[in-house]
Amino acid sequence: MSTGVGKRPALSHLFFWFLFSQGGVLVALLLPAHVLVQGILGPLGFVPVADRHYDTWFSLLGNPLVKLYLLALFAFAFFHYAHRIRYLLVDLGLHAARSVPAQVIFYGGAAVVTLITLWILLTTAPLFH
Amino acid sequence: MPTSWWTRNRHYFAYMLREFSSVPMALWMLWFLVEIQRAGGPAAQYRPHGSPAFIAFSVIVLLFSLYHSVTFLSLAGTILHFKVFDRPVPSRLIVLAMFGMWLVASVVVAFVLVWFAR
Repeated sequence: MSTGVGKRPALSHLFFWFLFSQGGVLVALLLPAHVLVQGILGPLGFVPVADRHYDTWFSLLGNPLVKLYLLALFAFAFFHYAHRIRYLLVDLGLHAARSVPAQVIFYGGAAVVTLITLWILLTTAPLFH
Repeated sequence: MPTSWWTRNRHYFAYMLREFSSVPMALWMLWFLVEIQRAGGPAAQYRPHGSPAFIAFSVIVLLFSLYHSVTFLSLAGTILHFKVFDRPVPSRLIVLAMFGMWLVASVVVAFVLVWFAR
């Protein structure tokens, strides 16, 4: 008789899915607006955007909530990208992308981007100056 | 299996396009990081990106990013399972909620970026 326990996903699988799917969801919810406003409407001059001028960009980046938001966005997004690009290479026939060294390179790369983001956020428009 | 397997079928191609969308999105976010870092330099030297090439790149990234959003948020109905009063929430309702959240998040992001430009 089935107790239902065997049907539950493994914890590691759950954790892995959490990181990957959180990144995917965050990018899905937030990135199009950033690209549209900062990459297209702002440069074309259709709307004023904070990053077009030093003063407004500096003061926005000085907000601790903005720093926290950007750190979470970059950390989750790059973990998601690392995973997807690794599997893209596997699907293109590069089986070495499955290996442990490849995993270290890709997820380590995402960790490096996260640390660089943290460093940039702490040194750009610092909270205590 | 030949490496061109994904060109044989429309569904395979769409799958690969979805996987590939991470590449332009990651590149755009690296640019974003540079834009943040530039605010740390001297004010007189601050030049935001705005070349026609950059705008064209952003248009391409926007298309990939919209494709990612639509496909990934639609997937949420399959992945997420909730129960309210011991009854499963219909997946269509979950997807609808995800698209609603997308709209709200986009408005908030755009509002903050424009409001703080004053």
